[in-house]
Amino acid sequence: MFINDLDVKKQAEYLGVSLWRTPSFLFILMGIIIGVVMILVYYLFKNYNSPEALILSEVVIVIVLMSIGSFIIRNVEEMAKINKMKSEFISITSHQLKTPLSEINWEIELLLARNIEGMNQKQLEIINNVADSSNRMTRLVSDLLDVTRMDQGKFFLEIECVDIGNSIREVVKNNQFLATNKNIEIKLNFPEELSMVSADKKKIMIVIDNLLSNAIKYMNESGKVEIMAEEKGEQLVVSVKDNGMGIPKYQQEKVFQKFFRSDNVGRYQTMGTGLGLYISKNIIEQSGGKIWFESEENEGSTFYFSLSKTAA
Amino acid sequence: MSEDKKKLLVVEDDMILQKALQEFLTAEGFEIFTASDGEAGITAAKEKMPDLVLLDIILPKKDGYEVLAALKKDEKTKQIPIILLTNLGSLNDVEKAIELGATTYLVKSDYKLQEVAKKIKETLKMI
Repeated sequence: MFINDLDVKKQAEYLGVSLWRTPSFLFILMGIIIGVVMILVYYLFKNYNSPEALILSEVVIVIVLMSIGSFIIRNVEEMAKINKMKSEFISITSHQLKTPLSEINWEIELLLARNIEGMNQKQLEIINNVADSSNRMTRLVSDLLDVTRMDQGKFFLEIECVDIGNSIREVVKNNQFLATNKNIEIKLNFPEELSMVSADKKKIMIVIDNLLSNAIKYMNESGKVEIMAEEKGEQLVVSVKDNGMGIPKYQQEKVFQKFFRSDNVGRYQTMGTGLGLYISKNIIEQSGGKIWFESEENEGSTFYFSLSKTAA
Repeated sequence: MSEDKKKLLVVEDDMILQKALQEFLTAEGFEIFTASDGEAGITAAKEKMPDLVLLDIILPKKDGYEVLAALKKDEKTKQIPIILLTNLGSLNDVEKAIELGATTYLVKSDYKLQEVAKKIKETLKMI
């Protein structure tokens, strides 16, 4: 991994160490030193023709190789250790944070499902607000953990044959309530029979859900969201089109970054985690596809993603 | 005609979660037994022979993996479907669980009680 990627600066950034400690840099340095010493030996040998000079230079080369070599090995070992510590930290934190969150969520669910007798309207309203906030927090913790796993290269997909039409229909069903509340129509525009795609079923549903809920969220009352799926050669392209507030041109290149929020969204619109598109992009690209969008402020946005069709 | 209630064993050391599961699943029509640590879980499974076990991973005395392994090794209990219900969620954890014979693996904070109940009913219908 380190040898293949010779972009030393990027590697230093990723590993969080100074440039001269990155393994690639050290390997290059080692190579240069060997080269220089060999040239020196050659000239020494030519000019002095003495075995002592030769032996001396051989000894020097060996010492240099061993020092730099062991320095590199020590560095790599240390980084591996830090990475392992990071993983363990994520694992432990995830368990610690999720436990009280699970408790809160289940207790509220129990309260609302079976224990609301005698509660007045105001109390119910308060409890519902608490439930909403808790759900948001739970999703944020989940998203943060997903993002950390992605950054660590530990986010794995279970690729299988996915019926994308069914996935879309299920996601629409889950979002129907939200849409109806805002008087937004969700229109499906794709054939009954669609080719299967190679993807992780659960994760693709996260992507579709993210695009659809964004479309609904960033639309004012009433409007239309259209979901299409087209076969394009070896790929299937899904698009989610809305006629909502769109994304200002000057912000469009940041759309897939972590915690991106466009300026034209009111400050009150803080329902999401801001990580949805970052996660979606990661999922689609790891599945071998592409994700992109077109958007015009005040006219709406269309988000697209492509996936490979399963070979028949 | 009344079917015998299906028996569920809930092995969970967090008392709030244990009680929540017990209350909700009882109202869903199941008969619930509980255990608060790994050893008690193994004993309860062998004694009560539940139709399904809900098993947490982080437990005192013996952890969920040890319970899973023990129940799958025992002739009496090895056919009982086991759903791991935990907040650990890395791929290693899931793989380990499936390898040891867990039927399925749910992350607690991703599932409502209603959804857990649904998973249980789905799993039982398949047997």
